[in-house]
Amino acid sequence: MKNNLKVERAIKNITQEELAKQIGVSRQAINSIELNKYVPSTVLALKLAKCFNKTVNDIFSLEASD
Amino acid sequence: MKTKLLFPNQFKSIGWFLLVPSTILGILVIFYDFQLKFLDLNVFAIYSGGIDFLGGSTTILGFEKNNITDEIIGIMFLIGALFVAFSKEKQEDEFIAKTRLESLVWATYINYVILILCILFFYNIGFLLVMIFNMFTILILFIIRFHYILYKTNKSLSHEE
Repeated sequence: MKNNLKVERAIKNITQEELAKQIGVSRQAINSIELNKYVPSTVLALKLAKCFNKTVNDIFSLEASD
Repeated sequence: MKTKLLFPNQFKSIGWFLLVPSTILGILVIFYDFQLKFLDLNVFAIYSGGIDFLGGSTTILGFEKNNITDEIIGIMFLIGALFVAFSKEKQEDEFIAKTRLESLVWATYINYVILILCILFFYNIGFLLVMIFNMFTILILFIIRFHYILYKTNKSLSHEE
């Protein structure tokens, strides 16, 4: 699964720290998601999408290997 | 994040406060027979077996004299280690929960690989010493690995913005 979290974050101009605080997770979690090291749960994906006023599909998408 | 089975975050400091001194005292107990004389007490034993040819006696459901320095330090260590291992992080979330689970699996594997090797290469009193350490190693391995992973991800954060 890939995501464009980093791009969305850049558009909104907030740091990982601020984003983490807004949705109530650790900064490590945001960092690991951006680096594609961690796949978030549905709840966290929905929270992230809500934060950017997008749908989950706008931010996360499947890859061929999934 | 809602989590069952974990202690509140404040318990972590209490854990370290118990764990550090009891580790030092535990090493003194094992290698230098450290004992506090005033802790010589009559204790209730469900079973206490002596080694026959050394002239030891056996007690079943009765009282006997024992120095409880090692018992107290052992329990302090275990409670401290459990608090350190299983208290919530400041910002407990699903990523940390995953790291915790992976570290626990890893610690269990390594612990028993070490034990298998020790079964093969340690005998008699040597193996008894291994058994004593093995009571504590799974928690120690878990604590080291879990905090190392958190430290590593934290460090990679400082490069990332």
